[in-house]
Amino acid sequence: MTARFFLRRGLAAICFVFLVSSAAVFLTRLAPGDFVAQTRGTTISPTEAARMRARLGLDRTAAGQYVSWLSGVVRFDLGASFIDGRPVATVVAERAKNTAWLAVAALALATCLGVGVGTLTGSRRGVWWSAVLTQLSLALLALPPLLTSLMLIFFAATTRWLPVSGMRSPATMSGALDVAWHSIVPVMALALPMAASFERVHARSIEATLAEPYLVAARARGVGEARILWSAAMRPALRSLASIYGVAAAALFSGSFAVEMVTAWPGLGRLLVEALVARDVYLVAGCALAGSMILALLTLCGELLLAAVDPRAVE
Amino acid sequence: MTGHHLRAASIGAVVAFAATLALWWVRDDRPSPPRRVKQVIMSVRSGPQSLNWLTRHDATTYLVALLTQAPLVRINAATQEIEPWLAERWTRSDDGRRYRLMLRRDVRFSDGAPFTSDDVVFSFAAAFDPASTIADALTLKGQRIRAERIDAHTVDVIFPATYGPELRVLDVLPILPKHRLENALDTGTFGEAWSVSTPPADIVGLGPFVLTTHEAGVRLVFDRNPHYFRRDSDGRVLPRLDRLVLQILPDQEAQTLSLRAGENDGSASEIRPADYPLFKPMDEAGELRLLDLGTARNPDGLWINLKPGAFETDSRRVWLQRDELRQAISLGVDRTRFVDIVFNGAADPINGPLPPRSHSWAADLPPVPFDPELARARLASIGLEDRDSDGMLDDQGTRHARLTLITQKGQTALERGATNIRDQMKAIGLEIDVRMMEAGALIQQFLSGGGYDAVYFNLTTTDTDPASQLDFWKSDGAAHVWNLGPLHKTLAWEDDIDALMDRQVTSLDVKERKRLFGEVQRLFSEHAPIVYFAAPRVFVAVSRRLTGLNPAVSRPQLLWAADTLDVIQ
Repeated sequence: MTARFFLRRGLAAICFVFLVSSAAVFLTRLAPGDFVAQTRGTTISPTEAARMRARLGLDRTAAGQYVSWLSGVVRFDLGASFIDGRPVATVVAERAKNTAWLAVAALALATCLGVGVGTLTGSRRGVWWSAVLTQLSLALLALPPLLTSLMLIFFAATTRWLPVSGMRSPATMSGALDVAWHSIVPVMALALPMAASFERVHARSIEATLAEPYLVAARARGVGEARILWSAAMRPALRSLASIYGVAAAALFSGSFAVEMVTAWPGLGRLLVEALVARDVYLVAGCALAGSMILALLTLCGELLLAAVDPRAVE
Repeated sequence: MTGHHLRAASIGAVVAFAATLALWWVRDDRPSPPRRVKQVIMSVRSGPQSLNWLTRHDATTYLVALLTQAPLVRINAATQEIEPWLAERWTRSDDGRRYRLMLRRDVRFSDGAPFTSDDVVFSFAAAFDPASTIADALTLKGQRIRAERIDAHTVDVIFPATYGPELRVLDVLPILPKHRLENALDTGTFGEAWSVSTPPADIVGLGPFVLTTHEAGVRLVFDRNPHYFRRDSDGRVLPRLDRLVLQILPDQEAQTLSLRAGENDGSASEIRPADYPLFKPMDEAGELRLLDLGTARNPDGLWINLKPGAFETDSRRVWLQRDELRQAISLGVDRTRFVDIVFNGAADPINGPLPPRSHSWAADLPPVPFDPELARARLASIGLEDRDSDGMLDDQGTRHARLTLITQKGQTALERGATNIRDQMKAIGLEIDVRMMEAGALIQQFLSGGGYDAVYFNLTTTDTDPASQLDFWKSDGAAHVWNLGPLHKTLAWEDDIDALMDRQVTSLDVKERKRLFGEVQRLFSEHAPIVYFAAPRVFVAVSRRLTGLNPAVSRPQLLWAADTLDVIQ
């Protein structure tokens, strides 16, 4: 049963990746304007433009170009970017790494904050600080990552306490620490709304779990509040969070695209926008392929997590 | 809350606070570059498409070429005068077609190899490689401009016909190192040579800087070229900077914020008119410098599709392509109001493609008054009148006189300009629908020559000499946007402009060239194939520590003369 479950999910993920990347090729190709018009405009003669289109394969039909792209994909060749001629796989891998770091860091922060604060607010309803944290959570929940990042950037630019753009200091580029320093604004922009969402889900779950008869009985038998909360209630309460974790992680990944643009983070989202603007068909397809693979993987991880805390989900 | 919880929360808060402090402390404690290193950070919107200007034509590739390469002669972007560069002097033959160029001696490439006339001949050959995108610029009347070696430091440049701008055309051709690229040219791989994946150490040039680091999508670092040939007027070696960093920030908001936050010294291009109110108080408070560079050379303009037969089956064909319609649009727009609304007042009203304050070639044309009555009279003369008293003009069939104006989405000045034209035209009864499109789709639409009524857009030119803009002025040009596309026929007045431009380009007499181009501009003004309203003022915002600036109106406003750029340490 479990093997069938994962086989089914795996096949669905492969179909999803295939459909998304194929659609990316067709939609980019069929959208008005092409790479030559987009990047050279009126600065190129019709003869030169025709030569450039032929060189890039833009003189073929959308179907012809798709077949050519697909035959490359089965050989693990995603083609070359029209923009700078580099292999799409290399360009995408460079940027996907940066997006992955952003998403993982934000997810970790959101999980720690969401579970930590959610446990406290869920177990202590009616206390003033719990009410304040709940209101704060609701406010953050209402903010999309784009708005959060704009607010944080405004704060950073005004105070000059934090870097506002890029992944590294352009002058010194001093390694991992510098990246961590530059990650603060984008990671917080992504993590805060997600943490609020986790906090709300987990707080309700904790509250409901603590009201379960077996925990009421444990309390009556004299088991301490801390032990009930952290040992007995935590695992069953995490089921609710686990059930939305995959979707939330996927949403966070999508949200990172907007944050990357605003904070000039050199990730997959920024690359996708640049590729779309330039109508770089293969690069758009490569970004879509990588993006959909990461989405499928995150959803699968969420399901695995759910299966770990609630084996009934597999059934 | 139990004591355990409080303890855990407190520990968590302390750890988070300590981690933040540690990050901050470590960051501030990072070893900064030694004080003697003079470094400037400028932002650009995108990374280069190539490190070879001959094969790619994007703005950052051009910037890389400006910083790392050098031409034989240079057009001074501030004065628009031609200057000796790698060629220190030249003579012209009696027939005006052959120029003998004497090259500077003891000039070396950044890798130490000597520069000779062989490199010049090689660069001309590279310019005509199938992968080259500058071949058209070095072609005159269908024939190539050639270079012949006379000796190691003398070279002849031969034009197929006399050419009015003389050696200005050589500004587009950086002199490439034959010893590095000869193999690529011979084996037909010149198009792939010096791509963005090429190790920076392999990029060799005669420019003021050498590329030392290229992190795709992040930054480009240039260090001073120790073999650079130029010295300043005091005899000091150039460039003055030790290092120049181009930070890649794709979003203009990010560029603006980054500059405000003091993370860089400025942008490689001008600020948006909409950002002027943001930077002005910072300039007044001494936080940065806002430089007014003058009037832009390439104003936005409105044109109607004048391709003969474009509206064959459209009932509007009787009035849509008539001169009177465009004249009415020109007369019906209050340019002062346009300047205030679209450019926050920071623009000059204009009525031709060459803003008089920034173009020495601009003819003295009479200004177009704001005259709604005269505009209505012009429209009435082509049958457009308010027949049903609803305030809007109708054609002979009592349909509203209506057209669609397409413009580029996301460009504030174009979006605001198009909507302002729509609003002002409504006041004289002409109905305009504005449609925003992405740049590529828009360009492809009008390049196809059909399927659109009117466009409001910006056409960019690089050189001010009219001979370098033949693609715009001549009816067979790629930028002759109002009458383009396959099977195009010329209009009668276009034939006159073609003839005048042919004479203008081949004349070596500057006075005569100006007279002929004045005639061209008068014909253009009379038929108004493109209607112009305003040319914005160009501003750049830079940090106060930058000195040695020699700003120009055209891009890249500051970095075109990067070798004299300096900083106060």
